Amino acid sequence: MEKFSRRKFLLAGFLSSAVFLMDGCSLFGVTTPIDTIAILQHDLFPQASELGIVTAPYMHIIFHQSHISKSDKVFIKNGVKWLNEEAIKTYKITYTKLSFEKRQKILQTIAKTQWGENFLYDIMGYMFEAMLGDPIYGGNNNEAGWKWLAFHGGRPRPKEAFL
Amino acid sequence: MVDVCIIGSGAGGSPIAYELANAGFSVVVLEKGKDYTESDFNKDEIAVCRRDMFTPPLWEQKHIIKEYNDDGTFTRYDGEESGWNFWNGSMVGGSSNLMSGYFHRMKPNDFRLKSVYGEIKGANVVDWPLNYEELEPYYAKVEQVVGVSGKVVKHKFQEPRSTANFPYPPLQTNGATKWYDKACETLGYDVMPTPRAILSENALHRKGCFYSNFCGSYGCASGAKGSGRAALLQKCQAKIITDVFVYKLESDDKRVTQAYYYTTDGIRDSIRAKIFVLSAQAIESSRLLLNSKNRYFPNGLANSSGELGKNLIFSAGGSGRGRFVFEKLTKTQQKELMQVGVFFNRSLQDWYEFTQDAKKYKGGTIDFLFEHQNIIPRAMQEVYDSDGNLLWGEALAKNIYKRITTSRVLTFEVFNDWLPTDRCFVSVDEKVKDKYGVPVGVINLYGHPQDLKVGEYLAKKAVKLLEELGCEEIESSISSSPPPNLVAGGCRFGTDAKTSVLDKNCKAHDLENLYVADASFMPTGGSVPYTWTIYANSFRVADVIKERLQTFI
Repeated sequence: MEKFSRRKFLLAGFLSSAVFLMDGCSLFGVTTPIDTIAILQHDLFPQASELGIVTAPYMHIIFHQSHISKSDKVFIKNGVKWLNEEAIKTYKITYTKLSFEKRQKILQTIAKTQWGENFLYDIMGYMFEAMLGDPIYGGNNNEAGWKWLAFHGGRPRPKEAFL
Repeated sequence: MVDVCIIGSGAGGSPIAYELANAGFSVVVLEKGKDYTESDFNKDEIAVCRRDMFTPPLWEQKHIIKEYNDDGTFTRYDGEESGWNFWNGSMVGGSSNLMSGYFHRMKPNDFRLKSVYGEIKGANVVDWPLNYEELEPYYAKVEQVVGVSGKVVKHKFQEPRSTANFPYPPLQTNGATKWYDKACETLGYDVMPTPRAILSENALHRKGCFYSNFCGSYGCASGAKGSGRAALLQKCQAKIITDVFVYKLESDDKRVTQAYYYTTDGIRDSIRAKIFVLSAQAIESSRLLLNSKNRYFPNGLANSSGELGKNLIFSAGGSGRGRFVFEKLTKTQQKELMQVGVFFNRSLQDWYEFTQDAKKYKGGTIDFLFEHQNIIPRAMQEVYDSDGNLLWGEALAKNIYKRITTSRVLTFEVFNDWLPTDRCFVSVDEKVKDKYGVPVGVINLYGHPQDLKVGEYLAKKAVKLLEELGCEEIESSISSSPPPNLVAGGCRFGTDAKTSVLDKNCKAHDLENLYVADASFMPTGGSVPYTWTIYANSFRVADVIKERLQTFI
């Protein structure tokens, strides 16, 4: 039980830890990766919610999968920081607090940069993993992603998520 | 001391373990990966294909890759930084667990490329010290013991066989193969069902194929796939020690005396044996021998010739694809197209040899198969529009839905010879080490221009067929990019100890008790996937070792 609690604590740690956002040289505010990623993934693919699929919690698994490199994890966290800082630079407000239309404009801007394109590509990759991966990972609720695409998932199914 | 110690349990090591253990000899197999049974395998796309659960993370174990440039320099890539991954399957049975099992034999002329097709400038082409007739009984043995399904059809380059047909009938195929067969007839191509190392029915104490729809890259939950694990290691009493990494072979001037290994906990241990068989897959076998240099063999174990690591080859060629779209199909055809689970299983070998500009060329094989069913990359294919801009939202959802639900991609793979050259070889890095502190392998890459020329010739034939089939978005890509799962050479066998590492029986010229039994022995690779030939050769080497153990030791 103690081990489990510690793991839960660690899980909460990375994605819920503060990301300090800068406006030029001054500290502007604070956000957490999970807040930003939840909104970002919804902006990138609102159809997931329409299917009853929530993809952001899967990121907790990503941050604890043994075969994802440290640099990939750091890049996600940096991407969250840079995305918000782009919003601050343009609208003087964090990405998470912008209107849908303004968030889309920010996405269009960063998609033209190398880091932004890579970040959005990675975030969509993890999002589709949640949505179209095995339901054991928690995202593909009741196989809704598979049903949407008339896809038959492979059998046998895994009995536990790979960490 | 055991009779035989085998390093690596894949297609090279498993036949030897099977034969010698079943003959009553004590056999120990050292395997870097874990052991699995059919019940451990599932179709978890995230674990198997997105996270590569069966290969080591690159930050723990990697390669350095040096790609040859036209100006004579090499561009250096760090495997970890670039993500360039040459691992294939660290597990009992090795990557044979994850293969698609496209099984083609090499053909008689593949054994004598130099004699038949002549010297090629810039390439180190030689004849094998073995001919097809000597290996044929072992190809036939693999059909029986590992299990090959298919149907032999007459065609121009059908190799001689000692049996009329495969022991197991062909696997079920998708209805679209009828369109393919008709298109071949129109174009004058020979229809050839692809032989597969997959049981089409229950046999050999294994289950027949479940048609799970997820074969290549995945472990087989039915046991139908003829992996070294399912077909051989599970049927013998060889002792398999898993999760151990062999980092050095110790020798005196005549014999290997011990194999040293690390456990995953970093504990060092060793084992003594009368005979050592190295089968860690081509790159790693050369690396181990190079890292085992000692005072008797200062340039690497068994390397008095200086040929160790040299003439590394891959399968040359590339791939292509075309898309069947619902708009061009009847309702019945649409239904046939979307039938999943069953295979496509069609190959072309019409141009295994061809003439161009009055010159005879060795050609190759083209295998046709449906695009892999993994759903995540199929969705991710749509995140760029035709101008290369990222798509998201409604536009992306529409694209994904339409592509996946109303079309299907037929792909082809071209296999032709990767000519051996001085510029393609294995070495070890002086500074970069893996998590065990052992120098990593360096893969020096170069593709001979003729590889591309032949690949392009074959790809054009395949593209013509896709056009005849009415496919859209047809494209092909032939390059010198090496397929990491189709690698051979580095310890070529031959009759001359000055120009080869191994003798005809795959024993090191320099040492009395060291055999190399993965694809390292191959001086040229044929124009087919290697696995069947690796299996067949290992059964042959097993016979040699068995006789030695019975008579000399």
